[in-house]
Amino acid sequence: MFARNTKIVITLAAVAASISISAIYKATAAEKYGFGRSLGEAEIARYDSDIHTNGKGLPSGSGNVELGRETFALQCALCHGENLEGVPQMGARSMHEGRRDIEKLPYASSLFDFIRRSMPLTDPGSLSSEETYGLVAYLLNETGVTDNPNLTLDAKSLADIKMPNRSNFIIDPASRFTAEDLEDK
Amino acid sequence: MKNIAKLKPNRRNFIKASMATSAALLSSTSLGQETILEPSRGPGRTIMEMGYYGDRSEYATEARLKGNRGTGLVGGSLTPLQNMQGMITPSGLHFEVHHSGVPDIDPSEHKLIVHGLVGDEKVFTMEDLMRFPAKSHFHFLECAGNGMGEWMSPRGQNVQQTHGLTSCSQWTGVPLKIILNELGVRGDAKWILAEGDDGARMARSIPMWKAMDDAILAYAQNGEFLRPEQGFPLRLLVPGFEGNMNVKWLHRIEVSDTPWWTHHEVTEYADPRPDDKIRAFSFIMEGRSVITSPSAGMKLNGPGFYEISGLAWSGAGTVKQVQISTDKGDSWTDAQLEAPVLPKCHTRFRMPWTWNGQETTIMSRSTDDTGYTQPTYSEMYKLQGPIGMMHNNAIQNWHIAQDGEITNVRS
Repeated sequence: MFARNTKIVITLAAVAASISISAIYKATAAEKYGFGRSLGEAEIARYDSDIHTNGKGLPSGSGNVELGRETFALQCALCHGENLEGVPQMGARSMHEGRRDIEKLPYASSLFDFIRRSMPLTDPGSLSSEETYGLVAYLLNETGVTDNPNLTLDAKSLADIKMPNRSNFIIDPASRFTAEDLEDK
Repeated sequence: MKNIAKLKPNRRNFIKASMATSAALLSSTSLGQETILEPSRGPGRTIMEMGYYGDRSEYATEARLKGNRGTGLVGGSLTPLQNMQGMITPSGLHFEVHHSGVPDIDPSEHKLIVHGLVGDEKVFTMEDLMRFPAKSHFHFLECAGNGMGEWMSPRGQNVQQTHGLTSCSQWTGVPLKIILNELGVRGDAKWILAEGDDGARMARSIPMWKAMDDAILAYAQNGEFLRPEQGFPLRLLVPGFEGNMNVKWLHRIEVSDTPWWTHHEVTEYADPRPDDKIRAFSFIMEGRSVITSPSAGMKLNGPGFYEISGLAWSGAGTVKQVQISTDKGDSWTDAQLEAPVLPKCHTRFRMPWTWNGQETTIMSRSTDDTGYTQPTYSEMYKLQGPIGMMHNNAIQNWHIAQDGEITNVRS
């Protein structure tokens, strides 16, 4: 144990002195316990369902406002209300105002990711990629982010959407990140 | 046989005997007579009648208070802080919040997948994780929304309703940095995504610096496996960070160079400000304290001695000082901090007080070792807008009326 700690300390000191803080994370992986099983790409893909802000992770396929409208009526309106006003008895708040205001989201990916991971509440993960693209198109149009009744979204067009409120997000300095660190690249 | 048991000098019999003696001495007519002991209670329940997992007394009835939104799948419960002693919350009274119900997970089938910007991408079983060196640490866990209902006006009837979304436990698990070092993190990795295996697949972005600092992959709480509502069999613990980031039923960690801006981090857990900006990534639960006794819903039984007691904590460090005012904030006195006083942990404070029977308001304010002092509501309103009720750590006032009734007031 002593030898292990000493080695890490020496490695840390050397790396911190020579390169950058972020490199420390890599350098400490000197010794291995060897527990766990390595994963292949196919196996990871089964679990890796999240969407990054640059669109990485978005599935193939596409969906339009019309498909979104139909899907919303069938799968979402019971809780979220026919006009996105929210049904308090079902626990859903308005998507037009306050914290759930879709117009205020920083990225369209946040919306796609959440619908795909958590909705509908009683059967999450049951929506197809097409239905999810369609729902995002429908919701962006209904909340005035876009104004195109024929909007069709796919991986590329969804990633290209610039949300109007993005610049109003400020970063808590205690997070040790700045707005510049988190600028879109 | 019964007589022998009766005379056995255990503590209970001694006290009973003393009380009987005192009573006898007080009634002088019995002077000189033989002391008559109160009859014994007799034998209690046999070991065969006791459970294999201990139950509390039927007379101990303190309980969580449940709340839900509509369906009950998105719901939570609050800790009865007014009944809590010391600094630890019993696991069965720990607050909870969940976003798609409490899943029932077989630990023999549970897996943790770690992938992304790492040298090796791996899956770990619970057995694998428990082979790594472990750590046990005492930490509070507080929901960012603790006290959100209090933001505009005092509403809670007691401290459970005003502050019950904080609890404190000893957590045991593998330091996350051990796992990340094991796999080798790439130099450009700055964030991880922690994802739960509940229906909602609750997901939050966590900075790499926190993951490499004191984050724990916890499988135990207060000496036993996690409760289902606390993430059984595995949860992330990011000490001092808002409760929602301590992802329960943890099954996947992805390492990346950017945050995800997930639903929870950009809606419910972001803080709208008065200038229409939205503060994001406000992770740390800052210094806070509250008097738990005497507190709203209690009644003082006439003038005289009372111990003022409460809890203080800070997600940024260690509680350094708690001051108490018993005169509506005009003067402040240091409370005693009860050991152990640990970083990112509930700290019990106490102060002796003699109530003179006059109407007053009592309150506490904490300062942590970063120098941060708990703010007043008027100070907080400058920072957060009308719906910015997350991270409400303002000073709590309890009003004591002349008849001893205690209520929740703003000033």
